Amino acid sequence: MFQNNREGLALALPAAVFTAILFLLPIGMLLSEAFQVDGHWSLRGYLDFASKPLNQTVFWRSLKLAGLVAMTSAVIGYACAFCIINLDGKNRGRIFGLIVLPLMISPVARTYAWIVILGRTGIVNDAIIGLGLSDTPIRILFTETAVFIGLLQLFLPLMIISLISSMENLPKDVIAASRVLGASWLQVFTKVILPLTKDGLVLGGTLVFTGSLTAYITPAILGGSKVLMLETLLYQRVNVANDFVSAGVIATILIVMSFGANILLKRIAAIRS
Amino acid sequence: MSNAFVSLQKLSLAYGSNIVVPELDLDIVEGELIALLGPSGCGKTTTMRAIAGLMAPQSGRIYIDGIDMTRMPANKRGIGLVFQSYALFPHLTTFENAAFGLRLKKLPQAEITQIVERGLRAVGLDRLADRKPAEMSGGQQQRLSLARSLVMQPKVLLLDEPLSNLDARLRLEMRAELQRVQKETGITMVFVTHDQSEALALADRIVLMNNGIIEQIGTPDELYGAPKTKFAADFFGFENIFEVEGNTIKGAAQSLPLGFESTSKYLAWRPGAIDVGVGNFSGIVRGSAFAGEQREYIIESKIGQVHAATPAADPSYKIGEEIVFDFPQDHSLPLAR
Amino acid sequence: MSSKWTSRIIIGITLTFLIGPFLIIILAGLSAGDFMTFPPDGISLKWYLKVFTVESFRASFALSMFLAVFGTIAALILGIPAAYAISRYDIPYAETIKTIVAAPIIVPGIIVGLALLRYLVVPLGFTVTLALFLAHTALVLPYAVRVVSSSLNNLRGDMEEAAVLLGCSRIGAFMRVVLPNIQSGVLAAFILGFVTSFNQVPVSLFLSGPGVRTLPIDMLSYMEMTYDPSVAALSALLAFLSVIIVFVAEKFLGFSRYV
Repeated sequence: MFQNNREGLALALPAAVFTAILFLLPIGMLLSEAFQVDGHWSLRGYLDFASKPLNQTVFWRSLKLAGLVAMTSAVIGYACAFCIINLDGKNRGRIFGLIVLPLMISPVARTYAWIVILGRTGIVNDAIIGLGLSDTPIRILFTETAVFIGLLQLFLPLMIISLISSMENLPKDVIAASRVLGASWLQVFTKVILPLTKDGLVLGGTLVFTGSLTAYITPAILGGSKVLMLETLLYQRVNVANDFVSAGVIATILIVMSFGANILLKRIAAIRS
Repeated sequence: MSNAFVSLQKLSLAYGSNIVVPELDLDIVEGELIALLGPSGCGKTTTMRAIAGLMAPQSGRIYIDGIDMTRMPANKRGIGLVFQSYALFPHLTTFENAAFGLRLKKLPQAEITQIVERGLRAVGLDRLADRKPAEMSGGQQQRLSLARSLVMQPKVLLLDEPLSNLDARLRLEMRAELQRVQKETGITMVFVTHDQSEALALADRIVLMNNGIIEQIGTPDELYGAPKTKFAADFFGFENIFEVEGNTIKGAAQSLPLGFESTSKYLAWRPGAIDVGVGNFSGIVRGSAFAGEQREYIIESKIGQVHAATPAADPSYKIGEEIVFDFPQDHSLPLAR
Repeated sequence: MSSKWTSRIIIGITLTFLIGPFLIIILAGLSAGDFMTFPPDGISLKWYLKVFTVESFRASFALSMFLAVFGTIAALILGIPAAYAISRYDIPYAETIKTIVAAPIIVPGIIVGLALLRYLVVPLGFTVTLALFLAHTALVLPYAVRVVSSSLNNLRGDMEEAAVLLGCSRIGAFMRVVLPNIQSGVLAAFILGFVTSFNQVPVSLFLSGPGVRTLPIDMLSYMEMTYDPSVAALSALLAFLSVIIVFVAEKFLGFSRYV
């Protein structure tokens, strides 16, 4: 640790000032715009926004989808992380690499694949018609289901990684020990694994939830204008209607939720230590 | 103060508002091997870092070889420091680690090679010149760290807990090595340690520190044989230290008459100095341990716990047995504070 | 059924879900027909080759490359000193500084783009490219600081002190002793920053104008107009590129520990 703190500050300030002025300041101005209607401070922007049924639908849909994706990824994540953690070292590394890999690939590319799979002439519809389950293609693309599948594929790796890293800290023989003591698998999960991996679940859950809530690409490609979510709605409000008040309101909602989730995370981490 | 090579005058050291060393004066003679000894948090490492220039004093002066170094930046002081962790450069070979400072001096390559080779040979690392630090043992890393400082011919060589990371056998080896280097080079060395036996074995003079204050400065003989303060006596193994007033000894629960008159504030005895089997004091044996040449007892008495030791050949006492003992005047150590 | 097989099946299904779609796009891009179908109508490389001839893809690829390379370099120039200060100095307001620098990760990208458009581009006359460059720099900065910090924290601070005592200046100690030892961390930060910037969509949504589009945005708008397999081919190529980068990085840097 060096003593010359002025020198340290001189090294750290450029980054902080850069972010503060070019990043946080414009965002702050954008957010404050939502509180100004016709040049006056007012909450009318929020009230107007909240009174429109479309906005309500989009808000609740975003929450619902984000929550569903988080819960589904938790269920799959636990099963998958538990299997991976029990592999031997070499295989574990390989599988882990394959799970991480999609995170490095363009989300546009990742989402685009689902058009091929879920589209009218996609694999799923081919299979449905081929099996004689339906005569005409079923609409899957541009439904909440499509957005749900896309988001799940996009964010599941984050949940699995979080759970694996918390399971790595699990004491070695704790599961065997609780089995020997007569616990059923369900009891092992609820009484042993869940409490011990709570942190990973919270971290993964927050990442998946906020990621899904603030996603743009997936709802844009797989939901279109039929299944708007908060970010696609924001884009539409600005591009179609030049409505910056609504944009500011949505921005505020997104930021409050993202920061709220982050603060919650820090709190939980703090309580634990 | 004319012959002081390193002189610290009214030095005050603090981390922020946390004052570690309030005011310290210390003179070190050229060619001396000095130990800064004390428990952790006593300010010994901070003092060493101030000499090196790694921390700026709040006030006071540091002179080295007659030059005021107080505001001199660390890289201009010409002082060597062997870090406790060795602080070797992991990306450089043994040779390049040792040559690091010489290259900065822009010496010609031939001279660097010559000096480094000599330096590495002196610590027995000449065959490992191409190794990286990660490929060497702890002892080898330590010797490289020493060589890296020595090739710079520093005015003063500081060593931070030089033996603490070594195992018992290497520790003895390194101790001898340091003494040999010091004899051969005549360099002034200051080393920091919390281990009294290390300080006693190695140093010409020991500076015993506590809470940022120098308790006592002296040769190993002086500190071991005649500590002057309660802290010093405690640190050098006087187990029985009691407050006295005139001819009474003040115990925790009760004061009892002592066989003689004393003018000092405290009196201390080593366990072996306590007379056992005769005397005016009595207690119950609470602990007994056989330690080779002698048998050690913990006695519970009216003035508190007393540690005594008798030659192994003497009759032994059992735990729970009553025992009489005395504090003899001739082996007592008077302490002013 | 043994638990070993259960475990293999679970992992297999998950990986199929995560990675299978890529295999499908690779094949869809190989189609010889003019529309996206799977299985493809015959096999040809024409769409993979077409990707390279589409003018807008070339321009947007160039812009994305520019942003990813120079935005990341700029972020490292700002981020390395900041990471160094945070790990080596006891600076005042350290927590505030850390929070500010980390904020771009948390703020949803679309808001960033909109805010910069409204308050930098429109009133101050910043070009869209400059605004994109600044936004990408800010966005990569948190990753740069985090990755470099973690490799600095693995490096003992007394090495710099040793270098200073051997005659180095503070900057000299950083260049000669610190930098060589955090090289792989800096490289990992570069790769992570590059990938993040290159794949970034929401920030660039509002910050694009005529002729100024990042590749992912260009793909999105191409998709809206045309339903030919060229986007599939391009997606497959990008996926390949990422796989190669990550594979090489993992091989030489042990990249995954920095992610």
